[in-house]
Parts: sequence; structure tokens; C-alpha cells
Amino acid sequence: MTLSSALHIATSSFAAIGTQTAVIASNVANANTPGYSKQIAHVATTDLGGVTVDSVTRAANAALETQVNAATSLAAMQTAISTGVATLAQTVSDSASNTSPGAASNGVSPYAMLSNFSVAISTYQADPSSLSAAQAAVTAAKAAATSINGAANAIQQVRSHADQGVAQAVNNVNSLLTQFQGVNNGIMYGLAMGANIGSLQDTRDSLVTQISQQLGITTNINSNGDMSIYTDTGATLFNITPGLLSCASTTGTLLGANSTGSPVLLNGQPLTGSNATNQLQSGAIAGLVQLRDQIAPEYQAQLDQLAGTLVTAFQETDQSTTNPGLPPLPGLFTANGLTGVPPASQWAGLANTLAVNASVDPEKAGNPLLLRDGGISNAANTDYTYNTNNNAGYTARLAQYISALQAPTTFSAAGGLGQSGSILTYANASVSWLQSSNQQAANAASYQTSLQTQATAALSNATGVNLDAQLTNMLTIESSYQASAKLVTTVNAMLTALLNSV
Amino acid sequence: MNISSVSTSYLATAMLPGVQQTQAQLATLEIEAASGQYADLGLQLGSNSGYELSLRTQNGALEALTAANGLTQTNLSIAQSALKTLQGSAAKSAQTLVTYTTGDNSAATLQTLGQSQLQQLISLGNTSSAAGGYVFAGQNTSVAPLNDYFAQPTSNPKAAVDNAFMSYFGFSTSSWQTANITASQLQGFLSGPFATQFGAPQWQLNSSNASSTNMSSQISPGAYAETSTSADGVAFRQLAQGYTMLSEFGDIGLNMGAQQALATSAASVINAGASSLIGAQAALGAAQDQIAQANSAMSDQMTWLQTGISQLDDIDPAKIATQLSTLSTQLQTAYQLTAQISKLNLAQYLP
Repeated sequence: MTLSSALHIATSSFAAIGTQTAVIASNVANANTPGYSKQIAHVATTDLGGVTVDSVTRAANAALETQVNAATSLAAMQTAISTGVATLAQTVSDSASNTSPGAASNGVSPYAMLSNFSVAISTYQADPSSLSAAQAAVTAAKAAATSINGAANAIQQVRSHADQGVAQAVNNVNSLLTQFQGVNNGIMYGLAMGANIGSLQDTRDSLVTQISQQLGITTNINSNGDMSIYTDTGATLFNITPGLLSCASTTGTLLGANSTGSPVLLNGQPLTGSNATNQLQSGAIAGLVQLRDQIAPEYQAQLDQLAGTLVTAFQETDQSTTNPGLPPLPGLFTANGLTGVPPASQWAGLANTLAVNASVDPEKAGNPLLLRDGGISNAANTDYTYNTNNNAGYTARLAQYISALQAPTTFSAAGGLGQSGSILTYANASVSWLQSSNQQAANAASYQTSLQTQATAALSNATGVNLDAQLTNMLTIESSYQASAKLVTTVNAMLTALLNSV
Repeated sequence: MNISSVSTSYLATAMLPGVQQTQAQLATLEIEAASGQYADLGLQLGSNSGYELSLRTQNGALEALTAANGLTQTNLSIAQSALKTLQGSAAKSAQTLVTYTTGDNSAATLQTLGQSQLQQLISLGNTSSAAGGYVFAGQNTSVAPLNDYFAQPTSNPKAAVDNAFMSYFGFSTSSWQTANITASQLQGFLSGPFATQFGAPQWQLNSSNASSTNMSSQISPGAYAETSTSADGVAFRQLAQGYTMLSEFGDIGLNMGAQQALATSAASVINAGASSLIGAQAALGAAQDQIAQANSAMSDQMTWLQTGISQLDDIDPAKIATQLSTLSTQLQTAYQLTAQISKLNLAQYLP
């Protein structure tokens, strides 16, 4: 060992300290950058007893990363569902607008409006000669029809919005996958060249998290640093090259009540819909598709059942005693373009066009008293008139209306509610169903979001920067720098003394 | 490195989600404190929403029925008071007739009695209901049930009676031959062609516009009651028969035997009418009772429903107050912690 080798060792210390300081500087600079993983400089001794920075690695935690991505996917799905269902629940949010207990329902739900209509008919029945009571009953019937229309329109909006959301998410994922390909290639190249790929890895992890927002994924890293992405049910989304997501959505126009949403395709293979082998389980796309293809259509089916049953229950039959045989016609409740009472197979979309017959609507030059007398369907044909003696106190038809609302009837299974009950109980069950779905969706969304927050916090704690730790490192390095500098000065002094003595 | 590491970025933002959540809860609580009810009932009740709504609408329906019953009760009272007046007059008339003896001015007395009572019958029979219809019209509430017998020109019922007399005896009531009518002839006419005028279908054709179907009202959910009586009923017809008899034939110069027979016949028909009226009054009274009972039952039910609604909707004010103070304390703590944590930075302590 010589003085010059001591000088060498001290110099190597300066080089190592420089690199370590650079790493600390980078960590401190990025302390608040989301998704930044702290870098760690590994120092080692050299053959001559010096020091060198052997490698700079990145604090990664694959397990936590996976957990964050899964939690992100689930939270995105539940949030998408909850937002949509909350919008739907606006159509039945009666209770919120009520101010005091005991107030007659002044809400917006089809159930509340039908109940009001039932009460208005009862009131009219108590005073059947009153034109104002008849008008009030017609107004209540119109409010019921409008409420069902409004709910059906809300469904259309929610479905169309979800459909466009799916299309945007698909475009988003395609663009993210293209970026991902570039970053992934950079990492493979950098790894082969031995360059620092920390920032590229951060970018790639952030891209993966962004993709997991849209659809549930799993990832796999090969030895050469190449990452493959699979959907949560195993379809290959990225392997060397990106797959292509597509969805034929109806941009610009509303999704019709009868139309089903287009499935999301990956390289032509369906990821959603009944014939998809690899159905998406999580992510915003899965949530939006569930909203568009399951929850909203179920509510639509309920409303269609209500509308169809209303048209049927309030139909007018041939009252002629001598020559009956004319077909039943839609009475108080009808829909645009209806010429006869539609069979259950033609009820789809009826909720959107349900209306009160113009012949009883005073605003359309109709006569509200036809509510009592019959002949709403065809005032010209007396065969459809119930009050044949034209008695101002005739109430038999009004009593039929009341019992039509309360009589047991059978509903289709499509709505997912109980199939037996009256129009009123069915409408009531629909409110319960929707609010219950709303509650569940809100709870699930809140739960998954807090899980996501926790997972993100855990990852941030494991791989993020702690300024205090970095500063402590900095202090250590500073002392070591001072010691090395002192060493150089001392060796220099010794060398000078040696030279002076010669 | 140590295991329990905390990243600075997390440390700085750790309080944020909690603070946001607390603020959202505070906003909700403020609404709830103001209204005393849950801010978003649908979200709170979930699958119970339908139940809550059905309680509310049941309550609304009962309130509407109670209001409608009030109207029906008023109409029933109007009808009862008219029937009572008629019944009193009928009983009094019958009594007058029973004690009737033929004499000089007695013929005119009979006619006057008949005319005044018939007028009263028609006027009370056309009593209006509270809502503007006619109470004794059955279902045909928009038309006055009884035609005015004394209308000019000659009314349908009077013309029919005149025709019946003419075709039975061969001369009119103003003829001198009326004095020749025997008691048994008169009785034959009164119980024959004359009585026909007050039975179906002549009564409906000439005198009455009422519907013989009575009004039926829903008095409680699903329960109906007949809540009117019709001028087509037997009481009105019998009274009209008796009074018309007196008014038309009381002063047409009948001989004493026939005059006495007229009084006897009239007395028996009017008596029968009076007792029929009691029957009609009893029927209406039963309806009044039913309504009163239904109202009282519905009132109990409404109390129960309102209790149920407030159990679902209302929050205990004490609970809101407690939560408010807890949340504001929590928020203050969070703010203080955030300030403290931001001071905990090694850089501040380094020279």
C-alpha cells in the first residue's frame, strides 16, 4: 500500500458519493411524483479497497403493484355502476322531496304517480258529475304516463352514456397500449444495454395502472424485461405487440329501448356479452357494460311491463248487448300509433311512448267526462260507451278503474321482480328494487374505492420516497465526503512534507 | 431499509381522504338537521323504499277517502232532513184525513191540502246536493228528479191523470156529471188507472227523471255503500199518489159518499208513503253510520301509518347533534395533524 493508492481510494469515494448524491437528488425531486419508485444506489468495495456504486435499482413491489391494479379495476367498475344506478334512482327519489310525514306523495316515481291517480279516481268517484274532479283525474293519469316516460328516457340516457363511455374507454386502452409498446421496447433495449431504466419502468407501471382503470388485467414480466398483459379472464391484451380493442357504439344518437349494446371485441373476439368466453370481470368497461346490458334493460323491462299492463287494464271492450264482437281498444292509456291493445310480446319500448288518450285530455280538446262514461277509444262508436243512460252519477266504470289498479295480474319474468301482484304493487316493487340496487352499488363503490386507496397507500409506502430517510442518507454521505476530503488533504500534506524533505 | 417505511407523499396526503369524507358527512348532516329526515332516503332505505312509499300513499289514499266521505255525509244529512220534513208533513196530512168529515168547506180544504203538500213534495224532491247535483236523482244527478206537476202549460203528469179520468168516466173533472160518481166507482178508478200513473213505467215516463239506481260510494278502501235514495222509490210515488188524488179530485163536486171514499183512499196511501219514508230514512241512516265507523277506523289507521313513516324517515335530533359535534372535532383534529405533520421535516432542523 502506498500513499498514492490511498489517494486513489479517496478519489473513488468521491465518484461513488457523486452517484449516490445524484440518486438522492432524483429521489428528493420526485418525492411527490405519483407512481415514482425510489432508486437505491448499491455501493461495493473495489479490488484495491476503494468504493464504487455497483448498481442503481428501483424499489419495486410486484405483489403490491398487482393488488393496486386489481383494486383499481374493481373500484372503477363499481364506481361506473354506482354512478349510473344513482342516475336511474333519481326517477324514483320520492322520499327526498317530501318535507313532512303524512304528506301525500309528491314524488316522481311511477308508483307515486299511479297512487295519486288511484286517489284522484276515488275522489272523482265520490262526485262523478264534477268536471273539475274528472280533470284532476285526467291530470293525474297524465302525470303517471309522464313519469313512466321520464323514467324510460332516463334509462335511454344512462344506456347511451354508458355506450359512449365504453367506446371512449376502448379508444383510451388502444392508445395506452400503443404507448405501452414504445415504453416496453425501451425497457428491453435499456436492460440489454445496461442503462438506467427506472424512469421507463415508472412510466410502464403508470400505464398499466391506467389500463387497469378501464379493464381488469394481469401482467407477467419475462427475463428480458418484456411485460405481457392479459385480461382478468386470460385473453392476451399485449404480447410483444398490442391487441386491438373495438366496439361499434352508437355515437351521437341515443341507444333505442329495444336495441342491445354492441359487445367489446379484442382482436375480433368478444370480451362482453353472453357468447363471450373471456367475459371481463372488472374495470370501467365491465361496469359500463353491466349497466348498459343488464341493470338498465331490467328497469326498462319493468317499466314496459307497467306500461303494457296499464294499456291492457284500462282497455275498452265492446259494450253492445245486441251485437258484441268488436275488438278491445286502448282506453285511457295508449301510446303513439297504437291501433289495438298490444299483446305482451309487443310491449318492448312501450314505456317510452305511453300517453293518455287525447280524447279525454282537455288540453287537446278532449272531454275528461269520458273517463266516467267510456268511449275514450272511439267516441263516435257508441258500442264502447259504458254509461249508456248518460247518467251524471254513473260510477261503475270508475270502480272498474280502481279495481284494475289493485287487481292481481301476472307480469313477465323479464323485469326480475315478483310476477304476481297488482299494477300498484309491481310499481312499488320496482321502486324497492331500484333503490336497493342503488344502495348496494353505492356501498360497493365506496368499499372498493377505500380498498384502492389503501392499496395505493401501501404501494406508496413501499416504493415511494421518504424525504427524511433521503436527508439522513445525505448527511451520512456528506460526512463521508468531508472525511475523504480530509484524507486527500492529509495525504497531500504528507506528500508535500516528503517532497520538501528530499 | 426499514420495514415500516412511510413515503413522504403519502404522509402529506394521508389526511386528505378522511377530511373530504368528513366534510361530505357534515354537509349531509346539515341537511338532516334542518329537515329532521335522512338526506337521501332512497339510499338510506334501499329495498325498504317501496314499503315507505306504500305507507305514504296508503295514508294519502285514506286522507282522500276521508275528505270524500265528508262530502257524502253532507249530502246524506241534506237528504235526511228533506225526508224528515216530508215524513212529518205526511203524518200530519194522514191525521187530518182520518179525522175528516164531509161538510160545506171541507172539499176546498182537501184540495188545498193536496196542492200544498204536492208542491212541497216536488220542491223537497228536487233538493240540491252540496256539490251542486240533486240528492234524490239516483245516478242521474244532473237533472232535477221530479217534474213540476203544476207547470204551465199542462205538465205531463197532470195531462196523464186528466186523460186517465176522462177515459175511465167519459167526462172531465170540471163536468157537472162528477156528482153522479159513486164511492165504489171512484175507488175503482183510484186503485185502477189512477194508481197505474204512479207505478212503473208511467211514473218514470211522466213524473220522474231520476235513475232508480242509487249512488254507490267507496267509503273505505274496497268498501262501498249505497249513499242516496231515489225519487223513483216507493215512498215518493205513494206520497205523490195521495197528494195528487186530493189536489185533483178534492174539490170537483163529488157527492158525500164519494168524497169520504176519496179521503179514506188518500189517507191509506199517504200513511203507506209515510212508513216507506221511515224505511228510506233508516237506509240512509245506516249508510251514515257506516261512514262514521269507516272514518274512525281510517283515522286510527292513518295514525298508525304516520307513525310507521316517521320511524323510517326521521332521525333522532339528539343523534344528529352528537354526530355533528363528533365530526367537527374529528375535522379539527385532522386539520391540526396536517399542520403538525408538515412541520415534521428534517430539512427544517438541519443547519
